[in-house]
Amino acid sequence: MAGQETAEQRAESRQHRTAAPLEFRNVSKRYPGSDKPALKGLSFEVPAGDICVLVGPSGCGKTTAMRMVNRMIDITEGDILLDGESVRSRNPADLRRHIGYVIQQIGLFPHLSIRDNIATVPRLLGWDRRRIDARVAELLELISLPPETRQRYPAEVSGGQRQRVGVARALAADPPLMLMDEPFGAIDPITRERLQDEFLRLQQDIQKTIVFVTHDIDEAIKMGDRIAILREGGVLAQYDTPERILAQPADEFVARFVGLDRGLKRLSLSSLSDLSLEEASSVPDGTRPPGQTDPQRVVFVDDRGRPVGRLGADREPEPVGPIAQPDTSLRDALSLIMSDGNRPLVVVDADGAVGGLARIDVIAGALASGNGGAANGKRA
Amino acid sequence: MGGLVIASGGSGPVIPNFGGGSSNACERNNGLFCWHWFTQHWSSTFSPALVQHIVLVGIAVGIGFLIAFALALLAYRVRWLETPIAGISSLLYTIPSLALFQILVPFTGLTLLTAEIGLVSYTLLLLFRNIVTGLREVPQEVRDAARGMGLTPRQILLRIDLPLAIPAIFAGLRVATVTTISLATVAAIVGVNEGLGVPIFDAIQRVNFKTEFIAAAVLAIALAWVADLLLVVLQRLVAPWASRRRSSLVPRAVVHAIRGRHRPISAVREA
Repeated sequence: MAGQETAEQRAESRQHRTAAPLEFRNVSKRYPGSDKPALKGLSFEVPAGDICVLVGPSGCGKTTAMRMVNRMIDITEGDILLDGESVRSRNPADLRRHIGYVIQQIGLFPHLSIRDNIATVPRLLGWDRRRIDARVAELLELISLPPETRQRYPAEVSGGQRQRVGVARALAADPPLMLMDEPFGAIDPITRERLQDEFLRLQQDIQKTIVFVTHDIDEAIKMGDRIAILREGGVLAQYDTPERILAQPADEFVARFVGLDRGLKRLSLSSLSDLSLEEASSVPDGTRPPGQTDPQRVVFVDDRGRPVGRLGADREPEPVGPIAQPDTSLRDALSLIMSDGNRPLVVVDADGAVGGLARIDVIAGALASGNGGAANGKRA
Repeated sequence: MGGLVIASGGSGPVIPNFGGGSSNACERNNGLFCWHWFTQHWSSTFSPALVQHIVLVGIAVGIGFLIAFALALLAYRVRWLETPIAGISSLLYTIPSLALFQILVPFTGLTLLTAEIGLVSYTLLLLFRNIVTGLREVPQEVRDAARGMGLTPRQILLRIDLPLAIPAIFAGLRVATVTTISLATVAAIVGVNEGLGVPIFDAIQRVNFKTEFIAAAVLAIALAWVADLLLVVLQRLVAPWASRRRSSLVPRAVVHAIRGRHRPISAVREA
């Protein structure tokens, strides 16, 4: 018995901080008594450490596909390989203990403290108390919850905190793969956006392979390294990066599903830091700008270079208007420019000093030239 | 069982002598409550009757709980069994208690066994329904999360379903206990010489002596109240989370306490 445990612990430490690739190989699902398959011949690969979003209208089988990975639902045909090994060859309970599982309703255990909720899988794996305590402390810090939260019951913390605890609980045994079924679906839009951003930051640290189910194409574009769009009847319509799906929808269905505003959606994938900004003409506040300068380029700055005013068309000083940061998305930047009379947008650097100007035609040009989904693709 | 059986008759001087013999005016006039008489008869009559009553109820609720628990687990696993089990326990519940005791006497005699068979059968419906309801009301997503994290069906039952059913189970226990405490007094009427029913019945039947009647009745009420309180305290100890909750994540404890089928009369929720 003791020998087995150490073998298991060794296996776990080997998995530590690693992710595993996932492959769907011609997977089909047919429910008994139904002549139409829920999923038909699904094949795609998710590289280790990527977020793969399964998206589609209801009834497209996206949740079914996700739940087949940890054998919550049996595979009718085909196979799913985790780290090259068929999930069908694994004992279901053991398989699930090594795959993180997050669902929309979170499903925290109301009778257990936050600590014991997070400790669920480590306890099933037979970790000792000290190791569990250390891991719980580490995870609470990772999800920015104060350490004293550990003794609380789920009903005693806020909805957003419960959601984070759900993620921490799934991460507890450091699984190489996480399954997330509409994890931010039941949360108000403002908290949702914050949790999404938080999760993307977290993912930069943990680098897990993640299968993420949503019905919301905007969430898919925001979260996914790759997106699998499914159509009714469980057929894969397109599997690609968000940029390619927005730029080159495979067919009419995908084009309709991503929406007529797919150009704008592409803009949301890039930020101002992906553009080469135009130089602003910084003028110390209270002094007169040089007469021949284009008034749109003039920005009055304080002694630390921070913008305090602009020059109007009548060459009179006026309030500074909207200011953007390098991580502002091109979509938001476009919106700011249009609400400010198409004037070039002031972009400040990390210290708040004027870094440059972004013009509307440069943003439009980024989309046209096809580098709309630039290098790393996503806002962090 | 034999050791527990106490023969009927010869239960000592329960009825006072009303005649000119008594020096106490209260007793002579059958006053509302003669404190002196009560204290005089505490150790000979009331204290033993109270203890008997506690034993009577304790055995009934204990055995009733074990049977109901086993049946509830069975009905939880094998879903179609719920209706027949609930039906039979409802049927038992609807038999008038006097009639049930009367039916049993020819078979089991005027014994503790007679009383217990009757009392146990009355606890079954309350306990069975509450345990099953408690198990069924465990939120689906909680069970799904448990399964998705790799708990086996057995672990889900022991670590998730049963702990979460505790509030509902205790709600059932409380109603069953209080009901049984009051019902157990009826056993004396058919001649089972046990518990607080004996002094009540004697007082009514023979001379309608008020002090004895009231004392026994008040003791039964006090016992019910204390038992209920103890169960509340016990629940707080075994399920502290249930009284600390803020939102209603927890299955609502529905108590079916009326003599009708499938009709919840009150939703018990701890403040």
